[in-house]
Amino acid sequence: MKFIQYNLLILVLLSCSEQIKSNKKIQDEVMSAPGSQTNISKSDTLIVNNNIIIKNKADLIGNWVGWFEPDMGNQNNDLAVDDQIYWGRENKISLSIEDIEGENVKGHSVVAGNYRPFSGTISDSDTEYMITLKEPGDDKYDGSFQISMKKNQKIISGKWKAYKGIEINKRKFNLTKKLLKYNPNQLLEYSREYVDWTKLNTEKFREEYENEVFEYISTTFSSATESIYSINASNRKLSKKDLENLNKGDLLIIRNTIYARHGFSFKNRPLRIFFDAQEWYIPVNIDIKSNLTEIEKENIQLLLKYEKNAVEYYDSFGRG
Amino acid sequence: MGLHLKLVFQTCIVIAFIYFAQLLVLITLQYVPLNYDVSFLQLKTEINLFHYRIAFFTHVYSSIFVLLLGFFQFIPFIRKNYKKTHRIIGMLYILIILFLSAPSGLIMGYYGNGGIYSQLSFCLQAILWFITTLLANRYAIKGQYIKHFNFMTISYALTLSAISLRLFKWIIAVFWQLPPMDIYKLVVWLGWIINLIVAYGIIKFTNRKRQRLNQMKAL
Repeated sequence: MKFIQYNLLILVLLSCSEQIKSNKKIQDEVMSAPGSQTNISKSDTLIVNNNIIIKNKADLIGNWVGWFEPDMGNQNNDLAVDDQIYWGRENKISLSIEDIEGENVKGHSVVAGNYRPFSGTISDSDTEYMITLKEPGDDKYDGSFQISMKKNQKIISGKWKAYKGIEINKRKFNLTKKLLKYNPNQLLEYSREYVDWTKLNTEKFREEYENEVFEYISTTFSSATESIYSINASNRKLSKKDLENLNKGDLLIIRNTIYARHGFSFKNRPLRIFFDAQEWYIPVNIDIKSNLTEIEKENIQLLLKYEKNAVEYYDSFGRG
Repeated sequence: MGLHLKLVFQTCIVIAFIYFAQLLVLITLQYVPLNYDVSFLQLKTEINLFHYRIAFFTHVYSSIFVLLLGFFQFIPFIRKNYKKTHRIIGMLYILIILFLSAPSGLIMGYYGNGGIYSQLSFCLQAILWFITTLLANRYAIKGQYIKHFNFMTISYALTLSAISLRLFKWIIAVFWQLPPMDIYKLVVWLGWIINLIVAYGIIKFTNRKRQRLNQMKAL
């Protein structure tokens, strides 16, 4: 009998410990990236010429960046949650042409944190270059590109078709050549708001109006405040005072803006959609650890501490 | 108040106390064994200071006993039938506050988060805690039990701010979602001012009841 009582007591105690600390984890793609990815060549170390207008084959070498949009005819794959989020499933793509030797083209693409090498062939007419590129095919999202590059133009356009029957298996794109210039002073611009719809809290509301009862469901999302537009974690050492009043969404964005400045391509959807909407953002890298400055490394450590605290203790019974 | 209602009310208080006290025990246990990198301390750079470290762990390890011991002193049954027990627990309560919890609280208050006003609040609270406990002790020795009761009620109200501060923080975070430091600055004051107001109400209520009883006896 006593044994049962003790067990019950322990059970009660254990169930309550959740209230003084929640065991949620913070997300960090950059720091927890698998080590095997580190030896993949970095696209911003390419030998690139700065000609943005295509005159000859050499001008094709470089990073071509733009929207990678679904091309599914009438089929609708859009994502809409509540009134706050609308996403047409477009991602920013970076198509890096590394080398052209005769007819052969080599390079890689980066979309949504996915680095894929490709190879293909180039043909040439009076007015344009035509390129066909193939990804290896051992990834679920591999496919082939058909690209047309008109001479004396800035834009290359084309289509992509997946090998496998994935949800969106046809995409189109118009890309321009862009060079990643790391700018530690780059602040976020007012564009799309950060909303993490994967962590929404649903609340039911009841209202009585002229003897009629209305019930509706409203969702609140984890989001960020105005402070993300003014706090820069790349150009100065942040202090306790800068961070102590920020919510977890703010801290997450401020930290990930460091990665975005280095051209990191995000796998995480809410972050990707948020940063893709930033005009200056060029997602060309999947590993940026070695590019981080000392200030940034220190700030990341501090931000992670505050994020951990915000996630575990913000709405729990305790000081935090 | 009807007898039934009174019983229900008292049961509620006991259950609430047990619930929150065990949460505080769990918070204390986070620091056992000695741990400099958990919970509150993760963001507290002052933990590198030797005297802050001493103050912090003195406060954490001693205050939990103050909270638990104090509760028994307000149970009339023990007060009336086990006077010696009441005195021993009372002496422990007073000694721990005067020599351990309040002085360490004052040092921690000086290094409190949230700027000058928060530090002021913590320090003021520590001083008031010390003074009211000391006075309550004085009046117990002198045999002035009404004054003893009044000051002990205030002293324990301040002790209970350990619970109320965290409870208010939780309520504000869940219902208003204010930024963390704004919440902190609010509850640093609310956490004991509201307790003092409640304590004042209890003192008034008990004294009026006592007067009425005396009048009835006189008749």
